[in-house]
Amino acid sequence: MLKRSGPDVGHIWLKVLLAVICSIVAGLGLASSSASAADEGEFFIIASVQNQLLVNDVPERTPVAGATIKVTTVDGMLIGEGITGADGLCKIAVPTRDNYLIDIDTSSLPNGLTLIDAAKAQVKVDQGLFTTNTKRVTFFTGDSGIAGSTELERILQRLTDGIRLGIIIAMCSVGLSLIIGTTGLTNFAHGEMVTFGALVAFFFNVYLDIPILICGPLVILLGGCFGLLINWGIFARLTKRGIGSNSQLVVSLGLSLMLINFYLFLFGGRTKQLTSFSKQVNLEIGPIGITPRDLTTAILGVIILLSIAFSLQKSRLGKAIRAVSDNVQLASATGIDTQKVIRIVWFAGGALAATGGIFRGLDEQVSFSMGSDLIFLMFAGITLGGLGSAYGALVGGFFIGIFVEMSSLFFPSELKVAPALFILILVLIIRPQGIFGRSQRVG
Amino acid sequence: MDLIKIIENTLRASIGVDAIYFAIAALGLNIHFGYTGMLNFGQAAFMACGSYGLGMTAQYFGVGLWWGIPLGIFFVIILALIVGIPTLRLRADYLAIVTIATAEIVRLFVRSVKLKRLFGGTDGITNFSRQYRELSPFNPSKKYGFGPFTYTGYSLYTIIIGWVLVGIFSLFTWQLMRSPWGRVVKGIREDEDAVRSLGKNVYAYKMQALVIGGVIGMFAGMVLALDRGSVQPDNYSRMVTFYILTALVLGGLAKVAGSVVGSMLFWLLFVFSDNVLREITRNGPLRIGDFTVIQSTQVGAVNYMFVGIGLMLLIVFRPQGLFGNRQEMALDGR
Repeated sequence: MLKRSGPDVGHIWLKVLLAVICSIVAGLGLASSSASAADEGEFFIIASVQNQLLVNDVPERTPVAGATIKVTTVDGMLIGEGITGADGLCKIAVPTRDNYLIDIDTSSLPNGLTLIDAAKAQVKVDQGLFTTNTKRVTFFTGDSGIAGSTELERILQRLTDGIRLGIIIAMCSVGLSLIIGTTGLTNFAHGEMVTFGALVAFFFNVYLDIPILICGPLVILLGGCFGLLINWGIFARLTKRGIGSNSQLVVSLGLSLMLINFYLFLFGGRTKQLTSFSKQVNLEIGPIGITPRDLTTAILGVIILLSIAFSLQKSRLGKAIRAVSDNVQLASATGIDTQKVIRIVWFAGGALAATGGIFRGLDEQVSFSMGSDLIFLMFAGITLGGLGSAYGALVGGFFIGIFVEMSSLFFPSELKVAPALFILILVLIIRPQGIFGRSQRVG
Repeated sequence: MDLIKIIENTLRASIGVDAIYFAIAALGLNIHFGYTGMLNFGQAAFMACGSYGLGMTAQYFGVGLWWGIPLGIFFVIILALIVGIPTLRLRADYLAIVTIATAEIVRLFVRSVKLKRLFGGTDGITNFSRQYRELSPFNPSKKYGFGPFTYTGYSLYTIIIGWVLVGIFSLFTWQLMRSPWGRVVKGIREDEDAVRSLGKNVYAYKMQALVIGGVIGMFAGMVLALDRGSVQPDNYSRMVTFYILTALVLGGLAKVAGSVVGSMLFWLLFVFSDNVLREITRNGPLRIGDFTVIQSTQVGAVNYMFVGIGLMLLIVFRPQGLFGNRQEMALDGR
C-alpha cells in the first residue's frame, strides 16, 4: 500500500525541490550578474530595427528582435556588436564622438525578413549628429509591399512558419495531454517546463559555449528529470494526501507563478539569443525561404513526432500509457503499474517540453516567459484533439500552430493568439470531447 | 534599516486602494470560486470591463461617468456569455482554461495598435475622472489622517468610497448566500447532479453566478481606474487574477470576511517583504562572497515568487485559509 507522508515531510520536499532547481540553474545567476558590464561608456549608438507593415496604407511598426548590428569606424575597425532585444533596440557603446558606420547583418533578421531598402543596410553616422551622448539609428524591414513577393509566396512562407510552430506546439502538448490523461491534473506549469529547456540550453550554449547539437540531448534529459522532480516533489505527494485535481490545478498555477518569477530573477526580463546557428543564410527552395537551421529543426521535429506516435501505437510501454490515460482503474486492474506509468509520462512530458523549448529558442529568442506565452496554444491544441488523448495533442497542436501563423495573413500579428482561442471556444461548443476524444456525459 | 518606516508603509498598504480593489475583486471571485465552485481564472478581464466601461463613456460618449456602470455591466455580460456558454456544461477545468485564455486575449485586444482608437492601445485611457474628482469633499493636495495612516485628499476620497463599496458588496454577498438562490449555488458546488435531480437548471444558476461575481469584479476595476486616473491594459494581466486568488485563499474561500481580510493581509505581507528587500538592496546588491544573492532590479520577481510559493503552500497545508471551514473548502466537492 501507499505510504502516507506527514505534512512536515511535504514541507521539506518543497524545500528540496527549490534547492535542486536552484542548483541546476545557479550558474546562470552568477553569470548574469557579471554580464551588465557592457553598458559602461560615455557615448552610445542605439540601433532600432522595426518591421513595417502597410495595413490599409497606414504603416504599422513592430520591433524586430535578434538582428545583429555592427558598429565600425570608417576605416573598418570593429567597435562593437550587438543583438536587438524584444523592443527592437540594441545599445552599443562607442568611445568618442566620431564618424561611424552602422551595419545590420541582413542574414540575422528573423523569419526571413528583409530590409525595405536593401541599400540602407549600412548607415553612416557623422560626428556632428551626436547632439546628446546617444545617437539613434533606425532600420526598417518589411515583408509586405516588397516587389516580387506575391500572394502565393506569402501564403507559402506563412505555411512553413506555421509548420515549424505546429511541430513545437505538438511536441509540447503531447506531454501536457498525457499528464491530464493519466493523472487528471491540468498542469498550468507546463509552459514553465518549456522555458526550462530553453534556459538550460541557453546556459550551456552561451555561458559554457557548448554547441546546441552536443548539449541538446543533455538538456532534454535534464528536462525529463525536471518533470520527474515536479511529479515526485509535488503532485505525486498531493495525490497521496488525497488532494483532488482541482486543488492540484491551483497548485500548478502557484508553481507556474513561482517558476516564471524565478526565471525572471535569474535570467532578467530581456530576450536573448542562443549563439549556435545565429547567423544563417536563407536557402531558397522554390518560393520559400528557410534557413538551414529551421530546416534541420523541422526535420528533427517531424522525426520526433513520428517516433512518439509510433511508440505509443506499437510499444508495450506506449500501450500501457494509453491504457492508463483511458481509464486508470481499469489499467491498474489489468496489472499495469500505474505509478510507474505516471512517472514515465512526467519524464517524457518534461523531456518533450524541453525539446520544444530548445527548438523555440533557436527559432525565436530565449526569454523567461516564452513557455507561458505558448501555453494557450497548447491548451487550444489539446482541447481540439481531445483532452487526455496523445494523438489528439499531436494533431491538434500541429493544426493550431499552422492555423495561428496562417491567420496572421489577415489578422494583426499582435493578436495572433486570438484565433486559437476562437477555435478553442468553437470546439467546446460543437464537439467538447475534441476530435479524438470519446464522448462522455459531463453534465 | 528603517524599520519604523517599513511598518508604516505596511500598515498604510493594508487599508490602501490596492487592498480595496483586491477585496472587491476577491468578493466577486469568491462567488465563482468559493460558493459555486467555478474555476474562474479571468477575474482580471472582468475588472477590465469596469475600467474600460468607465473610461470609454467619459472619453468617447461624452456622457456622465455614471453611465460607465451600465456599459461595464454590458461588457461583463458579453464576456460571461463568451466564457460561460461553451464551458459551464463541461468539467471544471475547461472553464479554467477558457477564462485564463480569454482574459489574456482581452488584454491583447485592448492594448493592440489596431484598436488604438477605441481602447487607446498601450497608453490606455486617461483624463476621464474629472467629474469624479470634482465630487471630492477633500482638498486633493492636502494631507489627512494620523500616524501611518496619512493620505492625500484624493487618495482618502477613493479609499472612503472604496471601503463603502467593500461594505456594500460584503453585505450583498452575505445576504445573497443566505437566500434560496445562495443555497442552490452552494448545492451546485457540493453536488451538481443532486441539484439537477431536484429540477434546478444548474447551467442557468452557474451563468447567473458568473455574471454576479463578474459585476462585483467590475467595480474593483472601476476603483482601480478612478484611483490611478487612468486605464492601463497591463493592469489586467492574468497574474493579477492569480494574486487576487492568493488573497482569497489566504483569507478563506466561501467566507465573506475571508475575501476582505485576505486582501488586507496579502498587501500587508507583500508590501512588508517588498520594503524589506528594497531596503536590503538599496545600497547595491546583496552579496555572499562573490555570489550575488539579490539586486534591486530583482526585488519584484522575488516577491512574486513568494506569492506563488505562498499559494502552493496554502492550498496544500491550509486550504481553508484563515476563516474558512475545511468542509466548505470544496474545490473538489464532487
